[in-house]
Amino acid sequence: MDTIVRIPAALRTLTGGADEVKAAGATVGDVIEDLDKRHPGLKDRLLDEKGVRRFINIYVGEEDVRFTGGLATELKAGDQISIIPAIAGG
Amino acid sequence: MTAWGSARVLVVGVGGLGCPAAIALARAGVGALGLADDDLVDVTNLHRQLLFHDEDVGRSKVPAAAARLEAIAPSVRLELHETRLLPANAVSLVSRYDLVVEGSDNFATKFLAADACAIAKRPIVHAAAVRWHGTALAVGPEGGPCYRCLFEDVPLENPPNCAEAGVVGPMVGVVGAAQADLALSVLAGEDVLGELFTFDGKTLASRRRRVPRRKGCSLCGDERRIHDIDPKRYVEGVCVTG
Repeated sequence: MDTIVRIPAALRTLTGGADEVKAAGATVGDVIEDLDKRHPGLKDRLLDEKGVRRFINIYVGEEDVRFTGGLATELKAGDQISIIPAIAGG
Repeated sequence: MTAWGSARVLVVGVGGLGCPAAIALARAGVGALGLADDDLVDVTNLHRQLLFHDEDVGRSKVPAAAARLEAIAPSVRLELHETRLLPANAVSLVSRYDLVVEGSDNFATKFLAADACAIAKRPIVHAAAVRWHGTALAVGPEGGPCYRCLFEDVPLENPPNCAEAGVVGPMVGVVGAAQADLALSVLAGEDVLGELFTFDGKTLASRRRRVPRRKGCSLCGDERRIHDIDPKRYVEGVCVTG
């Protein structure tokens, strides 16, 4: 099952400029593994050895995965994943 | 009389976001507008910091911005603070205002402003913009969801360089205006607290989504651990673009 992943501008250098990409997997963690195969380097920007990096938020639809099971959050058909990094600038 | 006609609003960081936010708030007719920044106008600021012109380069930002705002909205009382928000002054400074608008360029100040406002029980509207990505979040005076619910602590990991990341001029105009809009909405009592506004400057797509309150949040969670300002929590600012 493919899931659409919305890529923030800061990470689009890793997706050839695409703001949305597809990746396969039954859980958020699976999708990130597949994303990294298709767009090498993305996983390292999203995860560290403890899980989702603390300045990254990953949403499935409108739900922050921290509250829905983290990387084990299960996906269903039609789900969309959004990645929101902390930024400081202005 | 508007809902904000007697409100006192503090703008922390008179930069790319603070300039359009201050212009919008002054034109909207807030009662008093505080400006806090210790920086000088640099030539590299001019493409995005709307209150400054070529002749301001080298001047202190706060009086330079105040001079322009006086011309734009002479009825607004301006209060000048030529200092950055520091652990030593944060709570006393934000306590003098009804709402804080924070558009600083480093995480240390963002977390300090979040903590000081929670301690002083003041609402705050955070905003940031890097490259083509912008965010804004309004936080209420009585706890979460707060900035620490969303981004737990000052990032220390592998930060890209701020100068490399860059800020696209029009982005801060859009996000700074949205920040002012959120500030006025909070003052008007509208239900915008805890909504994260994101804007993608490449696709011009914007989204609003609810940020859940995190039970384990160190600032507003069930076992809150931050009750005062400990300077060790706020390390030298870095710029992280993810």
